[in-house]
Amino acid sequence: MLFIKRYLLPRIVQFLVVIFVGITIVFFIPRLSSSNPVEQVIYQITAQGTFLDPAAIDLIRQSLTEMYGLEGGIFQQYFAFWGRLIKGDFGPSLLNFPVPVMDLIIASLPWTVGLLIITTVIAWIVGNILGALAGYFKNKAWVKTLENIVMIIRPMPYYIFALLLLILFTYLLPIFPSVGGYSVGRQIGFNWVFISDLLMHSFLPAMSLIILGIASNFMTMRLIVSNIVAEDYVIYAKAGGLKERKIAFKYVFRNGLLPQITGLALSLGQIFGGALVTEIVFSYPGIGMLLKGAISSRDYNLIIGIVSLSVIGIAGATLIIDLIYPLFDPRIRYR
Amino acid sequence: MKKKSAILFSLLLMGVMIFSQLANIPRSETLIVDVPNGRATTPANFNIFKLVSNRPDRGLHQLMLEPLWMIDYMNGGVINALAAEEPIYNEDFTQMTLKLRKGCYWSDGVEITADDIVYGIEITMKTPGLKYNEQLNLYLDKMYKTDDYTVVFELKEPNSRFHSNFLDRWGAWRPFPKHIFESVEDPVNFDYNPPISSGPYILKDFDQGGYWTLWERREDWERTPTGMLFGEPKPKYVLYYAYQEETNKVISQSNHQLDITEVTLEGFRAIIKRDPYARGYRLEFPWISNNIDPVMSGLNFNNEKYPYNIKDVRWALTLAIDIVDYMGIAFDGTTVMGVLHVPPTPYYQKVYYGSMEDWLKNLTLDIEVNGQPFKPYDPSATLRAAQYARERGYEVPNDIDQLKEMFGPGWWKYAPDVAEQLLTRNGFKRDKNGKWLLPDGNPWKINIVTTPVATHPQHRNALAAAQQWRNFGIEVSVNSSESYSDAYHLGNFDVCTSWPATEPWGGHPDLYRVFETLHSDYYRPLGEYVSVGGAAYGRWTDPRMDKIIEEMRELDWSSQRNLELGMKGLKILIEELPSLPTFSGPKPTSYDEYYWTNYPLAENPYGGPLISWPNFKYILPFLEQTGRK
Repeated sequence: MLFIKRYLLPRIVQFLVVIFVGITIVFFIPRLSSSNPVEQVIYQITAQGTFLDPAAIDLIRQSLTEMYGLEGGIFQQYFAFWGRLIKGDFGPSLLNFPVPVMDLIIASLPWTVGLLIITTVIAWIVGNILGALAGYFKNKAWVKTLENIVMIIRPMPYYIFALLLLILFTYLLPIFPSVGGYSVGRQIGFNWVFISDLLMHSFLPAMSLIILGIASNFMTMRLIVSNIVAEDYVIYAKAGGLKERKIAFKYVFRNGLLPQITGLALSLGQIFGGALVTEIVFSYPGIGMLLKGAISSRDYNLIIGIVSLSVIGIAGATLIIDLIYPLFDPRIRYR
Repeated sequence: MKKKSAILFSLLLMGVMIFSQLANIPRSETLIVDVPNGRATTPANFNIFKLVSNRPDRGLHQLMLEPLWMIDYMNGGVINALAAEEPIYNEDFTQMTLKLRKGCYWSDGVEITADDIVYGIEITMKTPGLKYNEQLNLYLDKMYKTDDYTVVFELKEPNSRFHSNFLDRWGAWRPFPKHIFESVEDPVNFDYNPPISSGPYILKDFDQGGYWTLWERREDWERTPTGMLFGEPKPKYVLYYAYQEETNKVISQSNHQLDITEVTLEGFRAIIKRDPYARGYRLEFPWISNNIDPVMSGLNFNNEKYPYNIKDVRWALTLAIDIVDYMGIAFDGTTVMGVLHVPPTPYYQKVYYGSMEDWLKNLTLDIEVNGQPFKPYDPSATLRAAQYARERGYEVPNDIDQLKEMFGPGWWKYAPDVAEQLLTRNGFKRDKNGKWLLPDGNPWKINIVTTPVATHPQHRNALAAAQQWRNFGIEVSVNSSESYSDAYHLGNFDVCTSWPATEPWGGHPDLYRVFETLHSDYYRPLGEYVSVGGAAYGRWTDPRMDKIIEEMRELDWSSQRNLELGMKGLKILIEELPSLPTFSGPKPTSYDEYYWTNYPLAENPYGGPLISWPNFKYILPFLEQTGRK
């Protein structure tokens, strides 16, 4: 009972408050802009070259305001929004009216989640293992070589690195496709032909994320482990004659992992925001472009839908970490 | 052993063919076209009849649909597509009769008849949320068919341009199949998938991610207007692919995986360097199609804001521009200059620029230079632009007619001395550093608002204008934010780079659509959203223009009087200069001739080469396969 009262409950309340505040902010911020989705739709229609009589445009404005539910004051809209959201409905996408926001998210999310979960986890595991070894065995020759490679890769802006991979493997050595999620004309199905095609198309986007992710995790973990190695208890363990292997794996690496686990959880939470630059460079499907389009067209409902997922993802990851952290760090207890 | 393995590995890599995007689709029979405006967010939805829909340029309006009429922006005129002939009006324009082309069929084998038109328009008028609902309700009283191929429209009031609702110029009310829609409960919430085509192609497949849409030629292509008018479209498949990233376009075309793509001038040059089969609209400088797209770019002054509400100031800013230098900054001199509020396409050069040349040459400003009234027009700007190109090392012809087509017929003189006089007489003065001060002694600062897309002609106009005016001694800032369109609509700018006038038809002399947005009925004060774009952002109105617009409404759009009124309106716009046309919107497009040839390019401009325009279907019967596999 004490665990629930003192530890679990406050964190769940905190989780709910973060979501409520986050979604409320996302509701109001786009509405503070001087533009609105009605004007954006009219602008897009007229900018495309279609000639509409100005008198008809005024009528369209009225119709759209009505259809979008943008009549009434902002607080009236706000309460109506929560009424819908409680039922799990973000409403229709305004720029793809009347397609529900959830349909758009569901169509894009699997691409993003599939790509980012795998790449984030691989980059985290490989980066941390290599970083930990490099931090512990810092005088080995292979560590120095690895450090030099990482020092070259790590500072590269992601966009440049992704473009380099693109040029290298689709133009100079054209063995991977440069665009898309799968080949034109390929039948979607749970079979090897389709899966291998999917893997071929996701290889470059994935590699761009994995390599830079490994470099980032490597640097952090190496630094953490280098510091731990200099701690008194490690020196004491060595002086006490404990086996090097035991010191490394049981005391050093395990302690080093603690901040990295938090980092992993937050990275996984951020997945719902998408990987915009990856999607642009490799013309890869995902939720990043959907969010970009929603923001530029002031699609209030779609913005709220995607950002809410992101808020829930990050808040949820933080909550989970809070709850399971005592398992990794015996020093943290609910008492 | 290691060496052998390395050689084997290298050979293996060399043996790997360039990765093709196509699975089970023969590349040699497929035309791959870029979607310049990006991917579809709802790829499974093909209902472009609703008001808020995906953009139609992934093949929907280029291949899937036929309109009643199509504007021919390339050669001028109107193409009768599903309509058999031009619209027939009664004397007072209260009735329009549509004659349908016989023998046209939907792709599922049902004939396209007057029933489709009557039903489609009725359902459009009844359903808010369908495109043209408001427009048709404004004008149309009733409609009925007199036989299977004739529809009569009774209008609420005289309207000589009612047919323009059905005239496709990147959008129109296009017929949809009655037998499909009549079983649909909510046509706005209907995804029209699989779509039924009136055009020569049917949907074969599409990407769940929204990047590509694959179309297959109809077996009964001869039962479509495209087939009847132009013959069999040659590519069996047309693939529309949204490449988005410029590097990707360059790579894909260099690998012959993209036949036609719209890129930046820089991207175009990168392709040409790498792909010996790639070419632009022209074989020589300026290579790109720089005067095909019927759009005029330029600058919009805020006519409601001091000092841009003063005509002398607007003219002074114009005369402070050296157009050749300006075009050099914007697009390395590859654009076509023009002074009128219509673009200098070959068609409009013939119809307006040629006819108004004498008037332009004799136009004077209310200011004297050397005791003579100042004539601002400079037909020699064409020759200066040609000289600029020669100095850059490019070969250009000497023939003046060719030069006019390539660089434009002329522009305003570069006359900073006259600009100085115009400003001085309005109380402006220079400080000790030569910077211009407003009459109240404060520094003159111009804020140019533009799109953040650095490759867009609007953005390039902003950079060029800023440079020119800084050279003249004015402090200029360029504000390119994502909220630029809000600033345009609300009038939060000194100068903005929206199109200086609504785009004209492109293939017809009628300028009603260019002028109408300037009618004082649609004026909105600063801070209020304007309903329409173009010069209306500048909040300029003029009773003389109102009269012209009102008279045009009553006239046959092809009448001589309508043409005269068009010229009269253009003259007012020039004299008052509420907005400043500079150059036509260039469209750097690269055509790869590895698999397909005979595109409609400068040597043989038989049709519209722009990939996102609905006219694209009409060039497909003329393409030729190279035979490469």
